[in-house]
Amino acid sequence: MSDLFVGKLRAVRPLAVLGTIGILVAACGGTSTANTGLASDQTLRFPIDGDIGTLDPAAVNAETDVEIYQNLFDGLLKFDDTLKVVPDIATDLPTISSDGLTYTFKLNPKAKFWNGDPVVAKDFIYSFSRAAAEGQDAYGGDFDHVVGYDEVSSTKDWAHNQKMMSGMTAPDDHTLVIKLTSPWGVFNTELALAAAAQVVDSKVVNADDANWWATPATAVGTGPYKMTARTPKQSLEFTAVDNWWGSPQPTVKKVKIDVIGDMAQGVAKYEQGGYDLIGYGGMGSDIPIDDVLRLQKDPKLSKELKFVNKVRTIWVQFNFVKAGSPFKGDLESGPAHDLRLAFSLAIDRDQMVSVACAGGVTCSAATGGLITKGLKGYLGDGADSSAKFDATQAKALLKSGDPTGAKTKNLTYFFDPNKAIYKATAENLQSQWQANLNLHVNIQPIDHHTFLQSLSHHEYIMSREGWQADYDHPQDWFDNLFVKAGGSNGSGYSDPKVEDLVAKADAEPSLDKAIPTYVEASKQMIADAAFAPLVYFKGEFLFKPYLQGSGSNNFNDFYWNEMKIGSH
Amino acid sequence: MFTRGALLYIGQRLVLIVFTAVAVSSIVFLGVHRLPGSALLNERRPDPAAQRELLHFYHLDLPLSQQYVRFVEGVLHGDLGESLVNRSVQITPLLLREARVSLEVGGAAIVFTIGIGVLLGVLAAVRQNTWVDYLATTTSVIGYSMPNFVIASLLFLLFGVALYNWTGGALYYNSGWTGDYGTLDQIIIPGFALGFPYASIVARLTRASMLEVIRQDYVRTARAKGLTNRVVTIRHALRNALIPVVTILGPLVIGIITGSVVIENIFGIPGLGKEFATSILQRDYNIVIGLFTFYAIIIALANLLVDLLYTVIDPRIRY
Repeated sequence: MSDLFVGKLRAVRPLAVLGTIGILVAACGGTSTANTGLASDQTLRFPIDGDIGTLDPAAVNAETDVEIYQNLFDGLLKFDDTLKVVPDIATDLPTISSDGLTYTFKLNPKAKFWNGDPVVAKDFIYSFSRAAAEGQDAYGGDFDHVVGYDEVSSTKDWAHNQKMMSGMTAPDDHTLVIKLTSPWGVFNTELALAAAAQVVDSKVVNADDANWWATPATAVGTGPYKMTARTPKQSLEFTAVDNWWGSPQPTVKKVKIDVIGDMAQGVAKYEQGGYDLIGYGGMGSDIPIDDVLRLQKDPKLSKELKFVNKVRTIWVQFNFVKAGSPFKGDLESGPAHDLRLAFSLAIDRDQMVSVACAGGVTCSAATGGLITKGLKGYLGDGADSSAKFDATQAKALLKSGDPTGAKTKNLTYFFDPNKAIYKATAENLQSQWQANLNLHVNIQPIDHHTFLQSLSHHEYIMSREGWQADYDHPQDWFDNLFVKAGGSNGSGYSDPKVEDLVAKADAEPSLDKAIPTYVEASKQMIADAAFAPLVYFKGEFLFKPYLQGSGSNNFNDFYWNEMKIGSH
Repeated sequence: MFTRGALLYIGQRLVLIVFTAVAVSSIVFLGVHRLPGSALLNERRPDPAAQRELLHFYHLDLPLSQQYVRFVEGVLHGDLGESLVNRSVQITPLLLREARVSLEVGGAAIVFTIGIGVLLGVLAAVRQNTWVDYLATTTSVIGYSMPNFVIASLLFLLFGVALYNWTGGALYYNSGWTGDYGTLDQIIIPGFALGFPYASIVARLTRASMLEVIRQDYVRTARAKGLTNRVVTIRHALRNALIPVVTILGPLVIGIITGSVVIENIFGIPGLGKEFATSILQRDYNIVIGLFTFYAIIIALANLLVDLLYTVIDPRIRY
């Protein structure tokens, strides 16, 4: 009997081997070449590690959504690859009245939605008003200087009670006039941001205001690509629009995006040839550090690995409003000021970068102020005096700020461990404060969503904070985070000097003229020791060598229609 | 096929399953609404008015009792609501599709669990104290001792990376999920990782059970009648030896379902297991509640199926 089984096993063995081989699908194979030097299959494939939240301009918010969405919709203006504001559907930059209150745009008469509907000025009035009303949890606030915004933004159920912003008029189909309530220097930049200021087809949107964007048949935009398939939480597919009105005409004909678990899988599949790039769709900081270090050592893959300074700074936030916070008050001098500065000066940021960012591979020391390196308003390497490591002075300041040690006893630093770097920096802070201040600070991980909720209620005395810029304009950093009315001001910090400087700079139509005032505000915040800067993020990307026109700037992936897939 | 008594039994169990699903979903519903944090928050932290609008849109501003009534009404109509994170994504079709994906991988895992487990167990028993027995037992111990995420990672490395390098890209495991139904390798390799630890349990149980059965009088009688070893082993011994194995199938199915959370995340499979981890981390309450309800129903049905299998394997058992 047993021989029978052994015999059967012997018989089955070759079949098993063949079967095993048979089930492993060979998915490789280069594409054929043509005389153009381009691959015959112009399909771009890359992964993202979480599905899109929405592609509706009124609601779009997350980085992943923006990176994809910028290829499907257009606005009046856009950023080019060097982050310069350039015309999009507008034929030129707007003419601005001498008082800085009236912006006049001329529209490209060729512009149309992919369903054939022409784009006219009224479409922008509809789209911006809708975003102002329905996009309050996203970028709808970008229109808050447009006349009529307040009435429209407070409209309940706008889809069934449509009101347009009275400051927007259309003298003819291809002329759009926008009136502002007060000069707003950042307006062009806000219009260039691929978010609320994109045009939608009212005919399509009115048919199903909540879901029109979610189905390929009705996700109508003006961009060079349109969605052709979507399996929620699994995959997305986009196809180039035939005879697209703009330029350059898309060479890449299809874009396939997989929603995968984590980027380690994406990297493995990239190495197998399953993906053409890694990092698009806001995934630039999500390659596991072990993979980055491994790829750096690989002679072939290291050439495909690119690092780009991204637009995120993280810092230690001090609570300026909570009762009992030792960091509250004393803006420019005094015990609380000394304490804040002591905690900042006690951080050796080079050591932090070395430990938490694999020797500076994934981030760099934040020594040039709040605004990330490479952006307008950056103060320059080493310009932030509060970011200089000085353990001796830190100890002295700690002594003067807390002579008995009672204020800093049992302090806890809260952080959200959803990104590895937050945990790594928290652990490093604890170790450095122990070594350099001789002070034990507890570190407490809190899950991301609970953390954000508590942060917005000013619950933490000391915590991780950070900001990812929306656009390359200093206003984005100050207005959201460091003025009293800032929606993301989790510390409660407010210095009248900074408030005045920021208000003055915000009203300046010329960015070049505004920057010195923003810089002054930055310096005042440093004098206040308003926060303890930590690191600036870098993004990691992998690009196959046959890709042409691929890349990323500090903010965005390059547009898909600028890319080509070379023969390989 | 089923007697009246059996049909009555099935009916009673199905009614209990409905109660179980309602109870589980109610507990989860109340539990998740007590958790801190919100899926609707992001680092931009919109102003409170906008936040209220969003809560209103998802009916999260209603009193909990009203939300619960709405939820139960939805469940009774097969509508589990809409994702809080991925707008316009309806949960019922999402979970049904993901269940199909998980079913494919889980089905493969069960095939491995039973196929490999029974095969190894029988081989070890009929060749007791030979190298076959030692090999089968050692394999079982290895499978029993290694967590499925270790096996999964090793398989990923072996078939996804090493095989790719050895064959110059001609053969490899193509991770993730292709199309609606995946490819064979996308089902079989994760299925093996998921099923192998349980196959080891089945193997040990089958071996022990077979060793007991093949020494029984009726087996000796069958041999004395001149039946071949094959017939004696498969038709007479194995059938009775499988009863303890069937007994643990219920817990094994539950283990495979819960194990899929890890396996699907490692292999990037868009099934219920991956959804489970993602939705909890994202605080997507609607999906979490739907998913737990779904799991409760699947597990209850799996247990019912196992109970019914007893009657097929052992005709003495009647309901």
